[in-house]
Amino acid sequence: MSNVSLIATASAGLGAAIAGGALPSKTRVASAVLLTWVSCGAALAGAAEVLHSGHPLELQSAQLLPLTGVTLSLTPLGAVFVVTTAVVAMASTLYWLGYASHGLNSRTASVALPLFVTSMLMVPCAASVSTFLVLWELMALSSLALVLNDQARREEARSAAQWYAVMTHVGAAAILFALVLLSAHAGGQTFAAIAAHAKHLSGAVRSTAFLLAVVGFGSKAGAVPFHVWLPKAHAEAPGPASALMSGAMVNLGIYGIVLVGDQLLGGGPAWWWLCVIALGVASALFGALYAATSTDLKRLLAYSTADNMGLVLIGLGASGLFAATGSHATAAIAMVATLLLLVNHSMFKGALFLAAGSVQVATGTRNLDRMGGLMRRMPVTGVVFLVGALSVAALPPLNGFVGEWLLFQGLLHGLPTTSTVVVFAVLVGVGALALTGGLTVAAFVKAVGIGFLGRPRSGEAADAVEVPYSMRFGAGLLGASCVVLGLLPMLVIPALERAARSATSSAAPSSVHGWVTLHLAGLHGVLAPVLLAAGLVAAIAIVASLRRLAHRRSNKWRALRPAEPWGSGRLLQTPRMQYTATSFAEPLQRVFDDVIRPARDLDVSHAMESRYYIERISYRSTSDDIVEQNLYRPIIGAANWWGERARSLQNGSVHRYLAYGLVALVAILVVIA
Amino acid sequence: MSSSPFASLLEIAAGLVIVCAVVTLWRRSLSAIVKTLAVQGVALGAVALILGLHQHDGVLVGVACLIIAAKGAVIPTLLARVLARDPRSRESTPLVNVPASLVGAGALTVLAYSATRPVVALVATTAGQLIPLGLATMLIGFFSMIVRRKAISQIVGLLLVDNGIALVAFLATAGVPLLVELGASLDVLLVVVVLRVLAAQLWSRFGVFDLDQLRELRD
Amino acid sequence: MNSVESVCVAGLVAIVQIGAVLVGGPLLLGVMRKVRSRLEGRRGAPIHQPLLDLRKLITKQRLRPFEASWVFGFGPVILVATVAAVAAISPLATTRPPLGQSSDFFAIIFVLLLGSVFLALGALDTGTPFGGMGSSRAMTVGALAEPALLVAILAMSIPAHTSNLPALVRIGLAHPVVIASPARLLALGSFLVVILAESGRLPVDNPSTHLELTMIHEAMVLEYAGPDLGLTMLGESMRLVLLLGLLVNLLVPWGVADRPGALAFVIGLVALVGKVLLAGVAIAVFEVFSAKLRLFRLPELLAGGFILAVLGAVTAVVSR
Repeated sequence: MSNVSLIATASAGLGAAIAGGALPSKTRVASAVLLTWVSCGAALAGAAEVLHSGHPLELQSAQLLPLTGVTLSLTPLGAVFVVTTAVVAMASTLYWLGYASHGLNSRTASVALPLFVTSMLMVPCAASVSTFLVLWELMALSSLALVLNDQARREEARSAAQWYAVMTHVGAAAILFALVLLSAHAGGQTFAAIAAHAKHLSGAVRSTAFLLAVVGFGSKAGAVPFHVWLPKAHAEAPGPASALMSGAMVNLGIYGIVLVGDQLLGGGPAWWWLCVIALGVASALFGALYAATSTDLKRLLAYSTADNMGLVLIGLGASGLFAATGSHATAAIAMVATLLLLVNHSMFKGALFLAAGSVQVATGTRNLDRMGGLMRRMPVTGVVFLVGALSVAALPPLNGFVGEWLLFQGLLHGLPTTSTVVVFAVLVGVGALALTGGLTVAAFVKAVGIGFLGRPRSGEAADAVEVPYSMRFGAGLLGASCVVLGLLPMLVIPALERAARSATSSAAPSSVHGWVTLHLAGLHGVLAPVLLAAGLVAAIAIVASLRRLAHRRSNKWRALRPAEPWGSGRLLQTPRMQYTATSFAEPLQRVFDDVIRPARDLDVSHAMESRYYIERISYRSTSDDIVEQNLYRPIIGAANWWGERARSLQNGSVHRYLAYGLVALVAILVVIA
Repeated sequence: MSSSPFASLLEIAAGLVIVCAVVTLWRRSLSAIVKTLAVQGVALGAVALILGLHQHDGVLVGVACLIIAAKGAVIPTLLARVLARDPRSRESTPLVNVPASLVGAGALTVLAYSATRPVVALVATTAGQLIPLGLATMLIGFFSMIVRRKAISQIVGLLLVDNGIALVAFLATAGVPLLVELGASLDVLLVVVVLRVLAAQLWSRFGVFDLDQLRELRD
Repeated sequence: MNSVESVCVAGLVAIVQIGAVLVGGPLLLGVMRKVRSRLEGRRGAPIHQPLLDLRKLITKQRLRPFEASWVFGFGPVILVATVAAVAAISPLATTRPPLGQSSDFFAIIFVLLLGSVFLALGALDTGTPFGGMGSSRAMTVGALAEPALLVAILAMSIPAHTSNLPALVRIGLAHPVVIASPARLLALGSFLVVILAESGRLPVDNPSTHLELTMIHEAMVLEYAGPDLGLTMLGESMRLVLLLGLLVNLLVPWGVADRPGALAFVIGLVALVGKVLLAGVAIAVFEVFSAKLRLFRLPELLAGGFILAVLGAVTAVVSR
């Protein structure tokens, strides 16, 4: 019974890819979506069984992959990631049904998207190094195809795909080294063999493997400074693909770190986790800052993904740090908080990327400065985006808030230790949590307020119409899950605890109790999300009805009057006078001038008649990613320089090339002799 | 958690010393900085006074009174006079912007706290627990000498360093020998006078108190 | 029966606390304006003038800019509703407010933030330059104030081992030394800076200015008319009272009812009114003598608040 769901997941996913590739254009998307749903459903069933029973599902086949065979094992930790991926994938593929009439309907895309989903569903099931790496590579390649899909002629998309390809393969190489190092020392390539042997490894091997894994998986999760591909690729990928990448794929980067750090190596010294926290703090601050200042809707969301993964890394690092210093109760809370943050992030970021995709379909632009007034034109998309935005800004009663509350509690209760590093790490963590919280609020007020509210800033925005039902439903599904998880986090927390226990192989009792009010076991920390929400809704209802009453009584049932905005007595108000995303972010940009270093360009041209009349002012402010500018550009420059030098080796003469071969052969023989 | 009024008074006085150190980085107005320095001197004196009264140590009480007089009144008055000579230099000119230097001060405080951890573990008294604050004041003093441009800011930084050392001394040994304290204070007084003369020279030569101008002397 | 009774009592406490904040908000505004005008040598409007203003505004007609969506009308409602909901469960007159167990400091701050966010969204929805300007500035100040606020909460929570608000007030009653500890004082200093910033008082924002180059909060509410304008005014003043109430109860908790009973509750209420009044007058006096900071000097102020909170947290760990 148990293996059926794994087999069904894989075969339905492959079936979906084949259907997407083989069927004619009319039916291929629909049948691919249907089969992907079957695949996701099977995965959900299997994961539910694992989470319920606590026992992993195992599957082995020596024939499937030459030389090594396939080893699959779905642990509770993996199951959490499978469930999250499946939910995001079901919403995104539903959305894809409607999106396909606007793009992403080519044969390549119809093959790549189901493959991408299936590989993401299977990665957490992999239980041996070779299986893991094959699935990981499949995931990277299929998503690369999606980024590049249909738009290979656009310069930005090509450049994004290049960055993505290079970064993901550098990351994959680091992961490969880490896992091969471990399996070479363990003498077996299944994860079980490695885990059993991990205790006997030398400290240097363990640390090298862990750091390599953090670099490799961190680049997939978008941790600064390995994040440079993320804002490019996530922004250029079409709607459903970007939702899948940001909502599901980045999670697997975190999964990888937990897999290597906790499951394979069984925890490590404090400095490992301090590195993880440092990485998290850098990503959180950097991501939040760039999200707050960017004007491209999807870039903003992508930077916010880096920011959220930073918070997740802070939680993960704190959990490891607490465990390393011996406070297991707080370590368990921090781990649950980490997983909750991850699940929440998948829900709201998926919803936000799908809604942003709808906006792109409706207006043809991602530039916030050309949007506005979409809440009236696209009410459902607007509300979904608003819910997602409030959620990512950690505002109650939505799910983002519960995750951040739990993380804060974990950090707070981790403080009563005697270890200085813990104190320092916690203080820095809370500071980062707070500053990114504030910046994220600003970023998403900007995204909602400039993108969806006010008056349209361009003709395209003014002519925008709501997207097809399937797109609304797809995005709405994830939006609704944000609300549900915000009200009833206990729907998932027990499962997350089981996963956390299986990851850290600790026998800690469950740390969060209660359905309506969450209690932290053994600590004084209580939150009642449902009651909080009920109180808020009641208060809103009372205030709104009182206002209605007052309005009706005094205005003799006259309706609310739409009027020309007053604007401090300005006679003419045009949409062009509104604040734009650039101007909205200007104060923050100025505050953090030293960090962002934007390039500003002010160009004033005077009229011919007199210098007192100004004909035109153009102001341009661009802020490039400073990590890209200062870290990667020099590397790329150096690589190019070497490439140029190396070119002189080639002159097209076959004799010369043969001579190189002979010289190399002789050299090798000399070395051997 | 402290439990007696003595301990909490001591904590507040020592806390005030470091808050004053931070405030000197925070404020831009030089006269406000000098006033803050006076408050810090009084707070430092209060630490000595509280310790002295608690331990019934007459010498320490005497030292406390001297400190309050010297650091709370004499030195600030001297500095205020220097300030009064140049109406143009009313604001400190930071080399590093204020929020960044404040964050730096916070980091130094945390560093001081971590570095003194072994010492604190040795000294079990309430006073001993507060040693990190003294070290932090000292570090902030150094920091403020680095990131501020005006000659007067250098004096302020030096005084912060001195106050920090004095605080550590009081808290660690619960009683600096009178002679040592007097010697140190006199030293600082001397430095203040020297810097005052220097500032006066700078003023008469360049018309500013900006230390960057000293580079021109090299040419 | 007993549980029904306790629910009734809890409801009553909630209603009284909301009512106190509801009436107290505008009145405190009136008192602060009165103090200010007296110190400036003017006679000033009567103390209950803000209440009269509210009564007038309620009878006016609501207006909505042509292109605004439902968010515009929602802003003032959410602002008042969040403050009212928080007022119900905060330890204002008693340390046993309804749902007090779950009145977490962190949670309360984020509920209040929800109100500010909707007000900022409503301002952007007007489609006027002023709305955007106010919203952008308010969000900048809010983003920079948040680190100070959360670290201050952390600093206060470390000695108490919890971030539960009633527990924080109660520990002050039980162990006065906790209040006198530098950790609590520094954190409260930082909290005060944040309150001034968030409720748009001097030196962050001048509540009585309408000059476009300087204003923050007023720019956001320019397009509201009638009951909507009344609600924003009410909500802002309620928030000031609520935050000041929390501040004074954390600083000088004496008088707060710590046991059940009507008498204790009434004493707690009177004490609260007295303490908040004193705090309000102190702020008003301070405002007379201070000037508004430049917008781009604000980061310095808020960084100062942040550093106070960090020092508080560090000393909290040191003296633990």
